[in-house]
Amino acid sequence: MANSWPTLAGIAVFLAMLGLQQLIEPGTQRLLTAVFLFVALAQAWNIIGGYTGYASFGQVAFFGLGAYTVAVLMNNYHVSFWAAMPVAIVIGVAFAVGIGVPLLRLRGHYFAIATLGAAEGAREVINNMTPVTGGGGGITIPTFGDQAPTAYLGKPGFYIAFLVVAAASVAIAAVLARSRFGYAMVAVNQDEDAAASVGINTTLVKVIAFGVSAAIVACAGAFYAFQQIAFYPTDVFDTSFTVLMVIMVVIGGSGTVLGPLVGAVGLELLAQYLRVNLGIYNQLIFGAIIVLVVIFFPQGVVNFFRDAWRSRNFSILDNVRRYRL
Amino acid sequence: MIAPQPAAADPILQVRKLSKRFGGLWAVRDVSFEVAEGQILGIIGPNGAGKSTLINLITGHLRPTSGQVLIDGDDVTGSRPWVIAHDRVARTFQIVKPFRGLTVRENVAIGAMHGSERDRSVRDALATADRVLDLVGIAQHAGAAPSQLSVADARRLELAKALACRPRLLLIDEVMAGLRQKEIEAAVELIHKLRDGGISIVAVEHVMKAVVAISDRVLVLHHGSVLTEGPPQEVLADQRVIEAYLGRRYMKRRST
Repeated sequence: MANSWPTLAGIAVFLAMLGLQQLIEPGTQRLLTAVFLFVALAQAWNIIGGYTGYASFGQVAFFGLGAYTVAVLMNNYHVSFWAAMPVAIVIGVAFAVGIGVPLLRLRGHYFAIATLGAAEGAREVINNMTPVTGGGGGITIPTFGDQAPTAYLGKPGFYIAFLVVAAASVAIAAVLARSRFGYAMVAVNQDEDAAASVGINTTLVKVIAFGVSAAIVACAGAFYAFQQIAFYPTDVFDTSFTVLMVIMVVIGGSGTVLGPLVGAVGLELLAQYLRVNLGIYNQLIFGAIIVLVVIFFPQGVVNFFRDAWRSRNFSILDNVRRYRL
Repeated sequence: MIAPQPAAADPILQVRKLSKRFGGLWAVRDVSFEVAEGQILGIIGPNGAGKSTLINLITGHLRPTSGQVLIDGDDVTGSRPWVIAHDRVARTFQIVKPFRGLTVRENVAIGAMHGSERDRSVRDALATADRVLDLVGIAQHAGAAPSQLSVADARRLELAKALACRPRLLLIDEVMAGLRQKEIEAAVELIHKLRDGGISIVAVEHVMKAVVAISDRVLVLHHGSVLTEGPPQEVLADQRVIEAYLGRRYMKRRST
């Protein structure tokens, strides 16, 4: 098959990253673990925000719920992580379906604001369920001795865990993108009336896309919780997670499999480089770079290069003109 | 034993006293008509007569205020658009609605993979799309973006998207508006070909000549209500129709 090379390239990169682990120091391992986390989160946002066109600003709710499900089950009920993690996914999907059915009737800004509110609400609920969640005082997952339901994975363990989560998210996105469901998502994104008229159950497509996205985010949140050991509601319901997902997808190129990958890897590595080399100015420069990229590549880096390659026109000025009319 | 009545006894589409009110305005009021299997019904009327609203009510894009829509005798009033589509009813939109970002071929394939009797794989759907593109005559643009098509070809794409759903009843909303004479002739020929292929058609049209050429019967809408219905030549000779379409002033001028 002519189109199998992206699959092969993906597998090759996965194996290379697996092998790379033996060669790198713990600091780099931790950095790459964070990169993998954001690859998964960006891919997840892209499914609902990119392909389906519903810009969710409440994705962090699934992350926080996944994290707290794992922490509560491991801490309060001594459940093993591997049993708690699937429960976290189920809770994340259930919440997505619960808020998705009413909220996915809204479009554009209204959907963004409503999901943002839902995430804030979820955080407050966790914050106030003190007997179960520890409330604002945070929660700790027991990781030592007999108290630990599952032995701590350690840096090498979490490197592999997040690599697998990231690879799975890329694989899910790639399979969806080429499927009938993938075309349905794109059709819903472009025109819901037209999509419905050719037999697409637009409500179902939107809810499933939201659910799949939530499943990936909740799974990532579960691993993140275990990795962090102790955290507060404000840590795992931090809106900046959502914002980063959006920025990574938009800059990389929404509605593509490669875009979120490029955006997550590029931005996380860039942020780290700036933190190390620019001291207190790193956030300022990071923000400025994002603004510039959005101005020059409004359709995302991946989409720019794909279009440029097809039209043999790599002029950035032409690109700005095309999208800034 | 009494033999069961063949399904063909029911008209493919029955509209009974269908009404739609927007606030204080009745966009469609007490409209009733039938379309028999294999028939082409033309719906004409001046701007704002309620033609597009009527189509939207039949396909589930709008919910009627009152009245019924029956397909093959089954009441589908108020069903969602995809349910109607799966009942093998397809439509086009007056303002074309291509899926941007996809090729012409992929646009058509979406109908083939999600409409009634859908293809189970993307590959089969793309093959179906190629056949439909061939039928409507834009196979040469299969790999193009919808935005690159001419007005006439964009209308053909709209038709191809609907046909890929394998309809038995096709509702077309002004597919000939803005076309040149040659293009209209081609479209008329295509519509006849579709009917001969077993598709019943409801054609909302503004272009009078085209309506006469394609329709077995014509229904005239005026201010949301049925003004008259009958064979094309008869309807067009009706004084009330000329009045509704061209206005009293025109009539007076002609009579003097």
